[in-house]
Formats: sequence, structure tokens, C-alpha cells
Amino acid sequence: MTTDHNSARHVVVRLDGVHKEYGDAKALDGLSLEITAGDAVAVMGPSGCGKSTLLNMVAGLDRPTSGTVEVHGHDLGKLNETGLALFRRRNVGMIFQFFNLIDDLPVLDNVALAAQLTGTPARQARRRALELLDELGVAERRNNYPATLSGGERQRVAVARALMNRPALLLADEPTGALDSRSGEQVMDLLIDLNQIGQTLLIVTHDPQLATRCASRLIEVADGRVARESTLEATA
Amino acid sequence: MSAVWTASRAAVKRRRLQTFVIGLVVLCSTTTVLLALALLSAASGPFDKAYAEQRGAHTVATFDTTKVSQEQLARTARQPGVETAAGPFGQTVVDIPKDWLWMAGGTLTVVGRADPAGPVDRIELLEGHWATAPGEIVVNWSAQGSPGTALLGTKLETSGGTTLTVVGFATSMSKSASAWVTPEQMAALHPSSAQMLYRFTDSSTEDRLSASLARATTGLPKESLTGAQTYLTLKQAFSALADSYLPFMTLFGILGLLVSTLIVGNVVSGAVVSGYRHIGVLKALGFTPSQVVAVYLTMLSVPAVVGCVLGTLAGNALARPILKVAFTGIDVGRASVGNISPWLSVVCLVGMPALVLLAALVPALRAHRLPAARAISAGGAPRAGRGLRVQRMLGATRLPRPVSLGLGQPFARPGRTLLTMAAIVLGVTTVTLSTGLTSTMVAYGNVGREDGGARIHVTTGGSGNDRTPSRLSDLQIEKRLRSLPGAEGVRARALSQVNMAGQTQPVFADFYRGDDSLYDHTIVKGRAPSAAGEIVAGPAFLTQRGLKLGDRVTLELNGRKITATVVGRLIEGDARALEATWRTLARLAPDAHATEYTVRLAPGADARAHAEAVAALDPGLHASVMDSGNAGTATVVTFSTVFTVLLTLVASLGVFNTVLLNIRERRRDLGMLKSIGMTPRQVVVMTVTSVAGLGAVGGLLGIPLGIVAHRLVVDNVGVVDFPASMKDVWHAPQLAAMLMAGVAIAVLGALVPARSAARMTIASVLHTE
Repeated sequence: MTTDHNSARHVVVRLDGVHKEYGDAKALDGLSLEITAGDAVAVMGPSGCGKSTLLNMVAGLDRPTSGTVEVHGHDLGKLNETGLALFRRRNVGMIFQFFNLIDDLPVLDNVALAAQLTGTPARQARRRALELLDELGVAERRNNYPATLSGGERQRVAVARALMNRPALLLADEPTGALDSRSGEQVMDLLIDLNQIGQTLLIVTHDPQLATRCASRLIEVADGRVARESTLEATA
Repeated sequence: MSAVWTASRAAVKRRRLQTFVIGLVVLCSTTTVLLALALLSAASGPFDKAYAEQRGAHTVATFDTTKVSQEQLARTARQPGVETAAGPFGQTVVDIPKDWLWMAGGTLTVVGRADPAGPVDRIELLEGHWATAPGEIVVNWSAQGSPGTALLGTKLETSGGTTLTVVGFATSMSKSASAWVTPEQMAALHPSSAQMLYRFTDSSTEDRLSASLARATTGLPKESLTGAQTYLTLKQAFSALADSYLPFMTLFGILGLLVSTLIVGNVVSGAVVSGYRHIGVLKALGFTPSQVVAVYLTMLSVPAVVGCVLGTLAGNALARPILKVAFTGIDVGRASVGNISPWLSVVCLVGMPALVLLAALVPALRAHRLPAARAISAGGAPRAGRGLRVQRMLGATRLPRPVSLGLGQPFARPGRTLLTMAAIVLGVTTVTLSTGLTSTMVAYGNVGREDGGARIHVTTGGSGNDRTPSRLSDLQIEKRLRSLPGAEGVRARALSQVNMAGQTQPVFADFYRGDDSLYDHTIVKGRAPSAAGEIVAGPAFLTQRGLKLGDRVTLELNGRKITATVVGRLIEGDARALEATWRTLARLAPDAHATEYTVRLAPGADARAHAEAVAALDPGLHASVMDSGNAGTATVVTFSTVFTVLLTLVASLGVFNTVLLNIRERRRDLGMLKSIGMTPRQVVVMTVTSVAGLGAVGGLLGIPLGIVAHRLVVDNVGVVDFPASMKDVWHAPQLAAMLMAGVAIAVLGALVPARSAARMTIASVLHTE
């Protein structure tokens, strides 16, 4: 991975003095951060340091107590719930540790659903979903329900779903955390490939190998703040 | 296909059992509600419609023409408050022999009218033609259907020597007369009274009708108004039998509605809570909060609409025969009670899905507000702190761990627990109410049979086409019947129509002599009649005429009058019937004789052999063994059982659904518990325990509610005045059984999902996220 952090490029994510409190507990404590287009950023830190909260803020899944979260030109603090939903469907794709596929839908519909939300006709959405599943090597499982898939297969389906609407930003929360080493390797390769074709990535992980292989920047978070930031050398 | 529809359809397809349960609950509830609505509508709607079509009189007033002139009466039509009026028409009473036009004999109120039409009381001609010449008479036919033309031409000889020929049959919803002749013929019959038919501008209540009549008759000579009959009395009489079912039909309808709402609320709330992660995923994908609500509402609308349509069809299919049974034997005039208004179906088809959606809306709005991050990270609803504290407390007890874990589960989801308990409470209330009603009705059906002996019903004049007259006289028959072995008592009966002062319609009077032991159990207030001029009647008769014990009325038969005192109130009785002793009949009709006899047999006597012995006494006697129950009792018990089954099923489905959702939500916990050594039996114990406690509490709450509901129903049955002995049907063993009903409903509902939880394989549970 050779992508450099270049401030001249378009800023996709800007967090400025973001605080998030859950009752008495501070999850984020004035965190500031910028991510530019094409970056692959890994966020690491001990449990409870605020990594997942940071990801939820950027995804518009949660709101800051104070501070500004701006993604792809949208000030998320100013959007209502419906606005946040519209923002999510058009601007971000998410990959979770435990996949979070919809158990009720077969694989193909799970992936196509994201496009249908943007108004894409069902047939067209399914065609694109099938292309993505084919690229990710799980097309033959398109009619299966998630419960019948292996962990690696499920995560590849989740990646396909995240890419469905060609998001400006791909967010991944411990994407290899629930996978065996072989499936984890496959997912890492996938993320690298995506970044190489220009996809901006923000990965939250405990896994140093994932961070060093997939990211060009490493942000270490401690007690809700950015403790250290460094540039990584590609190892892939 | 929209994303909302895709997600909803998938949810319906993959949650087949839950969808089926919701559909079944809505189906049962819709059927119950439609049945209750149809009965309510049939009891009042057809009467109003038919009455309006005939421009029925709000009040039929009778005046003494010796005290008031025709002109004075005609002026009352122009008084304030009178919308329109007809009359005055001459009115008289003529005697009719027994069996004349299949009538029991007695008197006929005849009115002179030139025309069946007019501004008030438009009489409908059923057969023949209207009376246009002297000697012609048109008879009121109040039964359903038409008498046919065969009876036209029947003659009636009046006591004054006039011969009247039946030229037509007609029906008047106002019941303004029993028969009509021309005004000229009426003049020849020398009427002593006249009739005015009024429609008032305000006819909403009895009080307002009385006030309107008082205003209209202001200025008339004192005591010239001898009687008045309002349409509200007719309406009440029309629905008298249905009224006996209405209180509990309505109650069951309301119970059905409540159970349905609660269970749907429970099911939807459960679907939302157990779908937290699903909601989070939908929101993370970009579903707006409104779209999430739409997914959940659509998911529930499918079974709700299907259940509602099927329930409406089932309700329509059941309502028709049930209504026919309910109204059998009631004088309905031209009103039709068998037809179910399409509006009732429309109300159910629109109302029930709306109710379901309303019940779904509250928890769905919770989904609307639920932050995506919280939902997606929780993987389930956040646990209540109190639930965890209770779990810790129970864990410290000496109870077996599966039992303590099961007992603690309801505290983890207090809202859902309350809804489930409400379903159990309503289920137990229903079972309690139904059991109580059945006991009351069985006791009521056994009135007069407390000694255990059978009853033989004997009629004179043979049976069917065999009209052989009896050779023996009335008194000889009674004597012979008493002398037969096994006979413990004989009661002779004569039925006659008598006129009651102030009433245009005759009343049916039953005159008895002999064995009056039946009154030991049928008089609920006062005493049995003994002297001449003492009468008793059922609650419907007394209430509709505003009579109470001690009140006096004048009875008239064949020109003879007697002033009678109400001395007792019977447990039940026809709204038009009273009872008196033979001494009263002797004053009104000295030559009357009994036509029916009831023989009370000693316990254990062979009823069939006795009936044969009676028939052998005289070929003119027809004997039959009386049924051990009555149709009304059987109908109430049947209704009660049907509703109990429906609502218990619904309550059990509610519990079933709750346990199912809990198990689905706790799959991982169950897998973990099994992985550390919990046996399938312990899983069943834990799961069943989690609802058995609720069942016991539900039983404790539902029993008093059921007892109160039972008391409300039996106290409001119009035609039956149940004595305290029939209302106090609750005993310790029965109450214990009711309490067990709560536990049984809960355990039955929980058993199937508990067993399925026990069968889950650990690997599949822990593998599935």
C-alpha cells in the first residue's frame, strides 16, 4: 500500500472537537480527525477507548454530544434522523464484525436491498448485486440464507452490500474479528484491492496485521482522543 | 418492488409461525366481534326499519267515548308536539272461541278503519283485501310469513249476533288492533272506546312520550284516556329473548376485542424488541425511521388483513344460524332478523386491521426513535436493571436453578410480561364467566325438577291430525291421572287470552289448579297466587308494564271483569303472559275447563311407561315425556362454550407467542446454558416456569373479574330474574379449578416452544449470530 496522506486532496471526513458522553461515561473527549479521499485509515486502541463510537459518529449511526462531524460535505449534527438515513444510504457502506446481514433475506436480496433503497429498480439492483457477489466469489450462494453461510462467506456478502451504492467511504468495524485466519486473509485482500481502486477506507480493529496490511495511516485512540497518528508502510 | 416491501415480505415469509399466530388471533377476534355486532344490530335495527316503513305510531291511545267526543279527539292531532296523527277510530272487544284461526280463544280488539294507509300506522295487507263492506273483517297476522288464502272466508259470530267474515290478513307493526272492520260495521258493534294513533316530534324516551301524550290530551275530560301503548314497549318486547343473550354476547365481544388488542400489542412489541438488531441493520443500510415503521406495520398488516377477511367470512357464516336460534319464537312482525347488514362486515374489515395497526403503532414508533448504533450493538433489547436484581435474588435462593432462572425471566421484560399477564387474566376471566354462566343456566334449566322425578305432559284432543275428543271430563281426567301409580302430583292448566285495561293487545293468562309445588322454585319475589284475583308474572311482563308487587290491574274475559293484584314475581316468563289460579278463571269463565295437565312422577318412576298408561286412559289424551332441559339454556351454554373456546385459544396463542419470542431472543443464552450442561428437561422446566408464575397470578386476578362479570350478566338478563341460589355458583373446588385454568393456559401456551427450545442443537445456536 503506497497511498500517501495528501492534504491537497478532497477531505471526506472531518471531525472537530467531538465529544460523546453516555451518562457519566465519556466515550469521545474532543477528538479531531481528517480523512481524505482514497485514504485507508486504521483506528486502533484498547477496549473502551472510543473506536467504535468514532465509527458510529462517522457513519451517522450516533450523534455527538458536542463538536462537528462532517462527512462528504454533510454536517451530520445538522441532519435529522431521516436526513441521516438518506446520508447513510448514499455516502457510506458499513462492514461489521458480526456481519449484520438480514436473516430473513437470501444473499442476493440482502445485497440488492441497499440499492433498492436509493430507488434503483429491483431487477437492476439484483443484476448489480449478482455482479458484486460474482466478483467477491460468493455468487453461487446467492439464493442461500445468511444462517447457512460460513463466516468468511457472510463477510464477503456484507462487503458486497456495503459496496452496492458505490459509497464515498467504506467503514469496517473489526471486519476480520469473527473470522478464521484464512477467511480473514481473504477479507484483507479484498479491502486492499478496493483501496487500490480508490475506495476510501476507515477500519476499526484490534488486529495489528489488518492495520498494517490494509491501511496507509494508523490512528491510535486512547481515552476518547487521538493519542498518536502515523503513516504505515504497505506490507501486502 | 420497494425496499420496504422487500424487507416486509421477507419478514412475513421467514416468521411464518408468528405470522400464523397473529392471523389466527385476528381471525378469532373478528369472528367474535362480528357475532356480537350482528346480534346487537338484529335486536334493534330491523324493528326500527320496519317501524319506519309503516310509519308506526309512537303511541296508540285508547279513549272512553262516553267521556270524550270525536271532535275533541280530532283536535288532539293539532296540539303542540304532535307530528301527525290518525283517528279517532272506533274500538271494541269481541270474544273469539277457542281454536278460532288457531288462536287460544279469548278476546279480539277490533278497530274500525276505512283505509289501511294513512299518515300513521300504514297497515300491510298480506292476503285478501281490506274490509270495505259490513260483515267483513281483516285479522292481524303477527307471525312471520303469510297465513295463505285457505283461511279466508272463516266466520266469526259475535256475542251480539253479528257474523263477520275474514276477507284479509294484515300486519301492523304498531299492533294497533287485533282486527279491523269498516267504520260502518264498527258503529253497528256499538264501540265504547276510540283509538288515536300519534307520531310525536320527540319520541326518544318513555318519559318524553308520556309528556307528549299529556300535552296532546290537555283539556280532555278527566279519565277519558283509558290506556296508552308506546312503540318503545313493542321494541322491548321484540328483542326480549335476544336481550337475554345480549349482555353476555356483548361482554364476550368486548373481551374478544380486548384480548385481540392486547395480544396484537404484545406480539408487535415482541417483534420490535426481538428485532432490535434487525432494526439497527435496516437503519445502518439507510432505511429512514419512517421506512422502519412501515416495514413493521406492513409485516403485521398481512396476517391482520388475511385473519380479518377470514374472520368476517366465518362470522357471517355463524351469525345467520345463531340469530335464527336467538329469535326463534319471538313475534318479529315484518322485521327480518336473519339478514346480516353488509355494514357490519365493512366495520369489521376496516376496524380490525385499523385496530391492529393502532396496536402496532406504539411499539413501531419505539423502533422509529431507536438510535441505530444502540440497536445494532445491543443485539437485543437492553436489559432492565430490576430484572437483573431479581435474577440475582432468585439465584441466592434454594430453588433449583432452572426454576429460579425461569421465575426471573418475566422481570427482564416488564412490559411484555404485563401484556402476557393481561392475556392470561382475560382468558381466566372468560373461563370463570363461562363456567359460572353454565352453572347458572343449568340450575335454571332444572327449575321444577329438583326432586329428580320426570314430568309427563298431557294434552286433550289427541295429537296431530288425530283430533279425537276425550271421553272423560276435565275433573275425571285429573282424578284418573292422580290415581295412576307413580304420579306424585297433577297440575291442570287452561290458557286464555284476556284483556288488560289500558292495553290494546291481549295478554296470555295461564290458569292453574292442583299441584303448585312448581312455585317453590320459580317464585323469586313475593308468593304464589292462591285466592281469586291474585296473579304472578315474569320480569319482562312486569317491567314492560311498570308493574310491581302489590299493584292492581283489571282483567276482562267474555265481558266479565276482575281486579287482580300482583302477588309474586316469577323467575322468568313471556313478556305477554301472566299466571293465576283456577279461582280467578272461575270468576272470569265459570265454564272453562283445563286443556293440559302436567304429571309430576316420583323419583325413579318409568316416565315412558307412565306416558303409555296415560294414553291408555282415554284415546283423546296425548301424553309425552317432557324434556329435561330447555332450548334457551342449551343455546346460552352453547354460546358460552363457543366463546370460551375461542378466547381461551386466543389467550393461549398470546402466551405461545410470548414464549416463542423470548426463546428466539435468548437462543444464544440457551445455547450457552446447554453448552455448560443444562439438560433439555431443565430447559423445558425453565421455560415453562417463566410463564407458570404469570399463570398463577393471572388466575388470582382473573377469577374475581370473572365473578363480577358473571354477576353483571345474570343481573341484566331482561327476561329472567335469577334467584340468589342460582347466582351463587362459586365453591372452593371450582375456584381452585379456575386458578389452575390460569396456570393451564400459560403452561399449554408455553409447552410447545419450550420443547422446541430443548431440542435446539448447541452448535447451530452458537453458530447463528
